[in-house]
Amino acid sequence: MPFTAKPIIGGDAFEQACSIGLAADTELAQIADATEQAACLRRHWDAIAELGWITTAIPEEAGGAGGELSDLAALVGGAGRGGLPLPIVAACGVLPHLLAGHPAVVAPLAEGRFRIALIPTEAARDDEADALRFADGRLTGAVVGIETPPDPTHAVVVVEDALLLVAVDTPGVAITRYQRIDGRPSADWRFTGIGADTLARGEAVARRAAEARDLGALLTCVECVSAAGALLEQTIDYLLNRVQFGVPLATHQALRHRVAEMYVEYENLRGLVSHALRTTAAGGPEAWRDIAFAKLRLGEAGRFIAQSTIQCHGGMGMTEGLQAIRLARRIMMAEFEYGDRSVQAQRLLVAAA
Amino acid sequence: MTAAIDYDAFREEVRDFAMMRCPPEIRAVVATYRKLSRKVWYPWQKILFEHGWGAPGWPKEHGGTGWNLKQRHIFDEVMAECDCPPQYHHGLRHLGPVIIEFGSDEQKQRFLPGILSGQDWWCQGYSEPGAGSDLASLRTAARREGDEYVVEGQKTWTSHAQESDWMYTLVRTSKEAKKQQGISLLLIKLDSPGISIRPIRTIDGWHHVNEVFLDNVRVPVANRVGEEGQGWTYGKFLLERERLGGANVAPMLKNLERTRALLAQELAAPRHALKRSTLEERLLMAEAELRGAQALGQEAIAATMEGRSLGLLPSVLKLSTSVTSQHVAEIALDAVGERLAPRFRPTDAAGANAEAPGIEWVQNYMYGRVRTIYGGSSEVQKNVIAKQLFGI
Repeated sequence: MPFTAKPIIGGDAFEQACSIGLAADTELAQIADATEQAACLRRHWDAIAELGWITTAIPEEAGGAGGELSDLAALVGGAGRGGLPLPIVAACGVLPHLLAGHPAVVAPLAEGRFRIALIPTEAARDDEADALRFADGRLTGAVVGIETPPDPTHAVVVVEDALLLVAVDTPGVAITRYQRIDGRPSADWRFTGIGADTLARGEAVARRAAEARDLGALLTCVECVSAAGALLEQTIDYLLNRVQFGVPLATHQALRHRVAEMYVEYENLRGLVSHALRTTAAGGPEAWRDIAFAKLRLGEAGRFIAQSTIQCHGGMGMTEGLQAIRLARRIMMAEFEYGDRSVQAQRLLVAAA
Repeated sequence: MTAAIDYDAFREEVRDFAMMRCPPEIRAVVATYRKLSRKVWYPWQKILFEHGWGAPGWPKEHGGTGWNLKQRHIFDEVMAECDCPPQYHHGLRHLGPVIIEFGSDEQKQRFLPGILSGQDWWCQGYSEPGAGSDLASLRTAARREGDEYVVEGQKTWTSHAQESDWMYTLVRTSKEAKKQQGISLLLIKLDSPGISIRPIRTIDGWHHVNEVFLDNVRVPVANRVGEEGQGWTYGKFLLERERLGGANVAPMLKNLERTRALLAQELAAPRHALKRSTLEERLLMAEAELRGAQALGQEAIAATMEGRSLGLLPSVLKLSTSVTSQHVAEIALDAVGERLAPRFRPTDAAGANAEAPGIEWVQNYMYGRVRTIYGGSSEVQKNVIAKQLFGI
């Protein structure tokens, strides 16, 4: 029996997220038109909101399901394996954490009425002069490449010590939409001295934002381990079935060894991410370090696995037609979410100094 | 049923013991990467033995501690953290368990006490010039003459033969169709007539491995462990016991910390700023990998204690930790190489090899290349993993 990946956290939520992810990914792959693709993503977004995914980690007293970190891990793991091209980590994990204590925003987020993009303080910009500024109740500046749900209605912005809510239709908000390399929606945002709702101010905002970011990094790792497991399975399957010169590619030692190397990287990453998940769930003060190491490793191991998948698929590896290759692009994109390798390395080095 | 074990308290007990009882001069040898020899190991083994901790991995009735796997793992970890010599003697780790499992009562009484106290030192006579990864091709032959075997052949890569009293040796006692059959395990005293030992000069400049020549060496039949022709089974038993060896990542993490301190000390000058930050970042990548391996090691121990199969974990651990520890050694070499690599061997005196202060970093780098070669080379491990993954 060829290799089958075991989820870090399995169960019903994992299975459901996986099959919805697969369905969305497959459907999307058959649509060429960008508008129709956007409509397809929007349908799936509404469906998962309807299923209550976003309520997973929202406390019961705030109208949520009151789930734990492991419930989130099951959900994003399943979505990762299926290749669901939607911002599940942000919507189900990061935003509810950041917005805890703001029921007026959390409730419509959970119901799917607010489709919120998260603009963190460290968001990328094309030009340093565009850095976000918040003064006298007015927000100015521009950020680029922000992951968004389909048809975003709002942005939650962390700027200086303020947590802001901005409606897309506020005068002075301009957005330009894109599709990321992993097929997910994204947008550039420009704010020209707009009025924004201040949800909170003070030191607690930065602390909460940092926690939310670590949660995002951790869940992204879980998602990618799951995707990497699927990549291994699909690469092995391809090599077993692709025949050239009268023999399956799986008989060649060079390719077998490459797959063995992928597996070692996968296992090492899985071990580290599972460990970080345990220490984070236990609430230890050093959990951030385990998350930083996990995200650092994801950069190395994830990219190696993604690149190897493309290489092992030969010419087919250069096409968008295979799910394995779409998953590989997802892992490549993940490097740039919630702190890339240099960000994680820097915070670890600063702490060690 | 036994009472629940307080692992934190156990860890503290081991740490207190290690810090108080392991002599500073022994810890200094470990901390500076100097080559471990019987001179260093024996006094420490004696101290452990007298405390009742001579054989963490043995059953209690044979002088072991009766610790469970997790306690043994904690013990090994703390030893590494405290710079105590790893208890990796061939007698204790390899031969002892085989004698306990397959040896006669007479052999147990004769050999186990010397192994436990550290009085007797053992080396392993397995590899031969024509039998490396393919160990079953070994040709050193033993023919029966009355109640003696007469052994003829050559062993190689024999670690510590130069300072050992005994060699447990795989020999061919008959030629069978299947090469794994007809192999027996003999215990051979190294001062027996007909044995000569020649050092192998290795790239690290340390003397640790040897060639051992056996020229009509007479060995009493009483020194055969178990049945004639069953040696391969015993050899495999021994290797199976070592499958969890890679789970202890603590010594590598300790080396990593030493290397981090080396970077701070060696590259403190402002002109080294870029080099230092580059090497520190590489070290961090290695640390991430080691922490991943550490997490897998804990999974492996939990799996074993719960009686679950380890699957590919031992191969994964061997593959990844060997390469990562090479990376760490490489980072240290890059820090000191310009200064120390040119001073590998003094030539103006008939002195020992490698005596420039700090030269151990260079030696350790060179030595580290073996990690992807011994104990099943990386290529062999990849074959094992691929076979399992592909199902063919």
